[in-house]
Amino acid sequence: MEITRRNLLLAGAAIGASSAVSRPSALAAGAELKLGVVGVLSGPAAQWGLALKGAAEFVAAEANRDGLVKIDGAPCQVSVVAIDSKYTAEGAAAAANTLAGQGVKFIIGPIGSPELTGLKPMAKRNSMLVMGNGYAKDALGPQWPLVFHVGPGPSGWADPIIKIAKQKFGIKSVVLVAPNDQGGTDIASVDADAYKKNGIAATEEYYQRGTTNFAPIVTRIMNAKPAAVDLASSPPGDAGIMVKQLRQAGFEGPIGRLGGPGYSEISRVAGGDAVLKDFYWYEPVLVDEKVHLIADEYKKLFGTERPENNLFFQWVSGARMVVKAITKAGTVTDTEKVAQALRALPVNDPNIGSGHWIGQDFFGINQELSFPFGVGLVTNGQLQPVVPVEAATGK
Amino acid sequence: MEGIVATGLIGVSLGAQYALLALGFTLIFGILGVVNFAHGGFYVLGGYLAYSAVTYLGVPYALAVIAAALGTTALGYLFERFVLDRLIDDHLATLMLTLGLYLMMSSGLLVLFGPQSPAFSFPLSGVLRAHGFYVPIENLVVLVVCLVGILSIYALIYHTDFGRALRALADDRAVATAQGLRPKLLFPTAFALATGLAGLTGALVTPILSLAPHVGDPVLATSFLIVILGGLGSIGGATVAAFIVGMVEAFSAVYLGGSKGALALFVLVLIMLVVRPSGLFGHRVRGA
Repeated sequence: MEITRRNLLLAGAAIGASSAVSRPSALAAGAELKLGVVGVLSGPAAQWGLALKGAAEFVAAEANRDGLVKIDGAPCQVSVVAIDSKYTAEGAAAAANTLAGQGVKFIIGPIGSPELTGLKPMAKRNSMLVMGNGYAKDALGPQWPLVFHVGPGPSGWADPIIKIAKQKFGIKSVVLVAPNDQGGTDIASVDADAYKKNGIAATEEYYQRGTTNFAPIVTRIMNAKPAAVDLASSPPGDAGIMVKQLRQAGFEGPIGRLGGPGYSEISRVAGGDAVLKDFYWYEPVLVDEKVHLIADEYKKLFGTERPENNLFFQWVSGARMVVKAITKAGTVTDTEKVAQALRALPVNDPNIGSGHWIGQDFFGINQELSFPFGVGLVTNGQLQPVVPVEAATGK
Repeated sequence: MEGIVATGLIGVSLGAQYALLALGFTLIFGILGVVNFAHGGFYVLGGYLAYSAVTYLGVPYALAVIAAALGTTALGYLFERFVLDRLIDDHLATLMLTLGLYLMMSSGLLVLFGPQSPAFSFPLSGVLRAHGFYVPIENLVVLVVCLVGILSIYALIYHTDFGRALRALADDRAVATAQGLRPKLLFPTAFALATGLAGLTGALVTPILSLAPHVGDPVLATSFLIVILGGLGSIGGATVAAFIVGMVEAFSAVYLGGSKGALALFVLVLIMLVVRPSGLFGHRVRGA
């Protein structure tokens, strides 16, 4: 066909007409729910972010398969938009800004305190609902009514773990070691208060993030002669080196890590469970047969194994709660209404169990999901079964 | 007193490791005029080469260390010869090229080995204890190897024709070239020597600390700090500064704490730059 101005106008009119005809059919298919994921997807902490992204994608696929999300009676397609926050405040803020530009109203993540600190103002400005993590003392608050916590911080779980560790190892004094930034100090100071409330003398030691050789810090700790050492939120690689160097320095007492999962890597870097000797840590999810069913479902849906990190399960429960609240509220745009629905939902997951909303005492707002969790233990160099703990209440 | 001796031992151990790293960094700057942002990458690569040789090929650790040093030497040679050499006098271009190489190395290792630290431990364990202080045997072995490495570099640079040629090129490339020295041959060799040193240190140190794709970042920062303190391009300055940094780091961390210790180190460097901007042994800004 010869390209003339008349033909071009006709072609343009045809395209315009076809768009106009196709629009009602797209609306008939129902609204679309975009779940934004903001997490660290590169660098040393990438495994955490991949667990978060995998969980959001799993919940979206599960909802689409079972038609779980309906708006005004019509099925709603759920999709995931994931952006790498690079584990930084500015990365998370930029990610939230990009998601806002794409019309995303719900964010699953981020993971760390610095990211959450950077993301919250941007999310608030764009009325986005956030189901995030981060153990900072100001992670939640009445000034952030649309920000929820996927699981409790140390204010929720430190006390029951310390009670178990005290009973098991007879701890009388402890030195807490963590990086000297918000990701370290906020957790170690809350842990320290929990130790003190349990009658254990606690002192805090901080190190510059990026330290590779902990021999001087270990010497300082040894000079304090503590009965136990708690590595708090020190990254697993750092924690592994410290355990090894503490044992080389002759430290015989128990070592804890009240900061998150990471036992496998700590044990590997330290040189095995024999070097850990007596070790206790926080396991965010009690992985039993029911929880394993999530992994089976993931394999059915995606044809691959689920992301390795156990935080995956915690993110699945958090994302499911958000999806349930959206369905209950019947909107994919009004986040205030969804937040109201979420607060009113009973904390329950078909695989992980039942729990409570907590956070009122510590954060001034009851927006922290609390499910049953576990305490990991190595005693005399032998890995023990995870001790189940009821969901934290009342804080 | 025991505490001071124990802390001093830690400082010497840190200083020897830092010196081996900083020597390579300062060699490259002194001779080629290049700030090698990939230095930490060669350290990590040395660690992963040794780890792979031990884990996947069943090579004894000592041989794996040699293989790692040779591997990083070869990569350094090829990189300088075929990539860096074309733009050797363009400081911005060499900076971008070495930074790009580092990003490629760390991202490649992340893809190949994952973000977590693998199980890679030193073949010797045990701790020597006496009168209130202790020395892990692995640290002692690494200290000895580092000291031998430092002395070897000194012998090579100050007591061989090759070393004299390198120093001549560092002093005045135009005159040295007019005298018959060949930068096309010597520059890649010098670069390879430096990257081999970084690889050797990585293969030695990562089993006693930890191995992960990102552990090169602090290595680069420490090398930079030492070389600035010692005087850019000065081999003697880098060695002395490495031991000063090791001692300051050890004593300040033990007696002031981890946070204040790091602050003390940077305050020291700041004072040095104010009082003596060219560093401890630096003479002038390099005119390459």
